[in-house]
Amino acid sequence: MRIVVLCPSLYSETSCALAIRLAKLGYIPVGALAFPALHPATLLRKLGQWGMRDAASYALAKLLPRKSNQRTVPRNPYLEPLLRSGSGVFHNLRDIGAAYGFPIVTCRNHNAATSVAQMRKWLPDLIIFTGGNILRKQVLEVPRLGVLNVHLALLPEIRGMSSPEWSLLNNVPVGITLHYMDAGIDTGPVLQRFPFPGTAPCESLEDLRNQLIAFGIDKVGEAVHALEHDAIAASPQSALDQDNQFFVMHEWLRERATERLKNRRFTVVSGRSDE
Amino acid sequence: MTSRMVNALAEATGLLHAPQRVVRLVERLAHDQMRVAFEQRHLHSYVTSTTSSRDALGLLIQWILDAQRADGGIAAYYSLLKGYLASYPEVTGYIVPTLYDFAHLAEDATARLAAERATCWLLSLQTEVGAFPGGLHGSNTAPSVFNTGQVLQGLVRAWSETGHSDIRDAAVAAGDWLVSIQQADGAWSGPATYQAATHTYYSMVSWALAELSEHEPNDRYGLAAEKNLDWVLSHFQENGWIEGINLQGHPNYLHFVAYVLQGVLECAILRRRSDAVKLVARSAWQLLRKFETTKQLPGAFGTDFKNGQDFMCLTGNAQMSCVWLRLFEQTQDLRYLNAALKMNVLLKQLLPRRGPRGVAGGVSGSYPLWGRYQPLRYISWGCKFFADALMLEARLTRSFEAAACAS
Repeated sequence: MRIVVLCPSLYSETSCALAIRLAKLGYIPVGALAFPALHPATLLRKLGQWGMRDAASYALAKLLPRKSNQRTVPRNPYLEPLLRSGSGVFHNLRDIGAAYGFPIVTCRNHNAATSVAQMRKWLPDLIIFTGGNILRKQVLEVPRLGVLNVHLALLPEIRGMSSPEWSLLNNVPVGITLHYMDAGIDTGPVLQRFPFPGTAPCESLEDLRNQLIAFGIDKVGEAVHALEHDAIAASPQSALDQDNQFFVMHEWLRERATERLKNRRFTVVSGRSDE
Repeated sequence: MTSRMVNALAEATGLLHAPQRVVRLVERLAHDQMRVAFEQRHLHSYVTSTTSSRDALGLLIQWILDAQRADGGIAAYYSLLKGYLASYPEVTGYIVPTLYDFAHLAEDATARLAAERATCWLLSLQTEVGAFPGGLHGSNTAPSVFNTGQVLQGLVRAWSETGHSDIRDAAVAAGDWLVSIQQADGAWSGPATYQAATHTYYSMVSWALAELSEHEPNDRYGLAAEKNLDWVLSHFQENGWIEGINLQGHPNYLHFVAYVLQGVLECAILRRRSDAVKLVARSAWQLLRKFETTKQLPGAFGTDFKNGQDFMCLTGNAQMSCVWLRLFEQTQDLRYLNAALKMNVLLKQLLPRRGPRGVAGGVSGSYPLWGRYQPLRYISWGCKFFADALMLEARLTRSFEAAACAS
């Protein structure tokens, strides 16, 4: 299986952990296409997500990168088992590429002609998206199977942004969906849906999100194996009566979602994939 | 020379009478110019305002109280060129419920007194046929359907607050006049309408009639409201756009689109017309998607929500916040509440906290100030709708929390 990983940053922990997970399963990516160290759009997003102080320290870390093994704790602690390397942790895609032997190419836009040409050169069966631009048709058409995305909610119920938070507030089971991307927002065919087992306590929305990301990376590994053996197939999303796209959640509602999380007033379905 | 330019020049002569306003004008223009130059559009949804909703509400109400003229009416606006304008019957009418709402919320006797003074002034304006005049006080004595409808809102509320029979009689007379000149198809047209044409935003009039029917046993007002509602609903398009705003020489300002939606929604709620609520939700959802994806709403549109103009009509924004909050209340869809909370943050950011009377706590017609809708003015109806939005926000967030605790 020839896999390309699209990354929002060279320093994306999710991208790093996914690449390692794939490599450990024997699916070493044929390449990764990442935004450079400090992409303005990424910085703006971080500014919105984390606030001025954290975004500034993030920017500083990118501009003055340290060696991988000097950093001991990843931002997402649930990725630590994958990212651990000696006494430190991997936090740079280039180090992982060097360790497992696959090329890292930087670009400013995943949809740019040069990016598409690079992807075509790698002849991927599958592209796995871990963040970046909204992908255009020319990218979606490159891989033989499709562009795989892990959405942090069950589809089709919750599409769009702040999806774990909206799941909590709308009493939709928290979970993840592996789906192929299409031109819409989270509207592509679904490979697998996994309600989140929710065995570990969640202290905050960030903690829940971190757990879901780790859960998603684990399931992507299994899905790639299943895809290689034609054991799973994607099916179109069922239509709902209403537009089910959600948008970035306002802080006041996030606080209410946090209360629900702490009070466990949400639906947790234990078990395996419901597909 | 267009009438718009003539009006602008006439307003600019105000600076000759009070040259000290130049400093304020330059300061506010520079403020908006700086903001526009440095703001990142896609940060809008993430930034927070340091002004709490409670403080913002206090500022808005103080602006309205400051704008109350000696006659009891509320000035139409504060112009950076000309200062306060004369009392405006239309907005004074619908500001009365806002003042009463605030009086209840904050146990504020001043706001109640201001509402009572405003009501007294409105009563003095009623014509023999029951109608109220159009335009600014003293500028026009011809009866106006729209103004009568908006004054009726205030009268109905003042009547329910005070129980005074003279207010009730005035409200009924206004309602009777509106019913008497309604067309067979439910619309209003003729000389008592703006530009002598039919307008879908007169749904705001049917809202007032529906309010009257809640307090008056005779259902003719409610039936007239529904007749207009049906006429307005026939102008709703599949894509959510509403035809028939019909303002010659003006674009479709968001303010008027939101008027249609607010009027239909409130009328539909009072008359228990779920079909109308659904149509409003479809249109409001289109605007919600625009707001969520672009982080702002255009100040004016061509038809079909296309060709949005690159300025914000802050009054329209505040009205949409009200519409979304009421839709949340009706549908329990939290996305409406989410969008309204964000819109209120955006509006709080643009609310001047300091400055002289007329500026502090004022809602400008446009952002930036020189945008096409009511340029260089802080308008009383903008303050009214934003105050309404913040009071709705307070009520709905409180009840949401109470429901969460109870479950």
